[in-house]
Amino acid sequence: MKTKLFVAAASLVLAACYPNGPEYAEDTDVVITSFDEGYNFSDKQTFAMPDKIVVDVEIDEGDTTYEYMADKFATPILETIQGNMEELGYNRVDVDEDPDLLLTPAGFTSTTYFYSYWYDWWYGGYWGWGWGWYYPPYYTVSSYTTGTMVMVLSDPNQASDSPINRSPTIWLSAANGLLSGAYDISRITNSIDQSFEQSPYLKTN
Amino acid sequence: MKKILIFIMLGLSATQLWGQSNFSITYAMGLPVGDVKDYISQASFRGIAADYRYNINPTMALGVGFAWHTFYDERPSDTYTIENVSLTGKQFRYSNHVPMLATATYFMEANEMFHPYATVGIGVTYTRRNTDMNLYTLEQEAWNFTLQPEIGVQIHTADLMGFVISAKYLNGFQSGSELHDPQSFFSLHVGFCFF
Repeated sequence: MKTKLFVAAASLVLAACYPNGPEYAEDTDVVITSFDEGYNFSDKQTFAMPDKIVVDVEIDEGDTTYEYMADKFATPILETIQGNMEELGYNRVDVDEDPDLLLTPAGFTSTTYFYSYWYDWWYGGYWGWGWGWYYPPYYTVSSYTTGTMVMVLSDPNQASDSPINRSPTIWLSAANGLLSGAYDISRITNSIDQSFEQSPYLKTN
Repeated sequence: MKKILIFIMLGLSATQLWGQSNFSITYAMGLPVGDVKDYISQASFRGIAADYRYNINPTMALGVGFAWHTFYDERPSDTYTIENVSLTGKQFRYSNHVPMLATATYFMEANEMFHPYATVGIGVTYTRRNTDMNLYTLEQEAWNFTLQPEIGVQIHTADLMGFVISAKYLNGFQSGSELHDPQSFFSLHVGFCFF
């Protein structure tokens, strides 16, 4: 019995020191980029991008309405994107000035709900007592929300090559992380910097 | 009659001296080698082992041994590139090893207090490797055929209890499942034994 207790105590101690993994929401931040290997970025000069960031799209009877990110968040994000593009050698121009590349940013969140119940069927009776008496189960509902920041580069001149008149993506960046209540914009600007840092092929002359 | 009694008494006391069975529980530290080391280079300070040994004669014992070792590493943010895709983020790496072994132990000539021994364990080790990134985990498992030599000493300080210190080398042979390489490590054990 003593040994059994000892084993039980030791297991508890061991469970208590199992490594924790991520401790902060930003520990979950990841940045993924991919690009069209056949595309030549180096002879491009200009790019255009919108002044707003789409966060949601509503389509009501064929009418499309965009929802935009509030300026106090959108401005530092857009400034970071522009700064990185200029550092790579591109000049920002207006969309009707025939830009070589189009950069479209978007942000969205996704919430996953899950519920569990905890059924405590221990009761104080004994077998043969007839109807068992049970505690009601406890239900818990929980959720987590992840945020994704997407940037897409496309070449408007490729649209004419497409049967549906759309330019294919030549560069894609998606940054994803667990949202915290802190609205820490630096997590997004850091992932934007990281997106460009891991994409040295974007450099132009 | 008196003689027989004396013999019986002697026999009983002899039994008392080497005991019938022997149980030890130890805290384990692990030092990875080979593929485990390539994955997590740091030593593990999370481990527990339990060994049961049944003496078939005063110097030989057969038994079973179980353990659980966890290696852990938190990789700082780094970029992993495959072809035209690059992924950056923090990685949390876990390597869990649960050996389940049949053991044979030889207890060397001992004085009252120190009982050095050598053990060979044969069996399987369940290995589970988790690489966590973002909210996802990449899980790889293996069942490795295992050979585990061990040397140690039991220090008998009281009638029913003592201390044990031992060193083991777990060689988890190459297996055909998700982890292709051998999963091996050294471990150092300190703990209690009961007889």
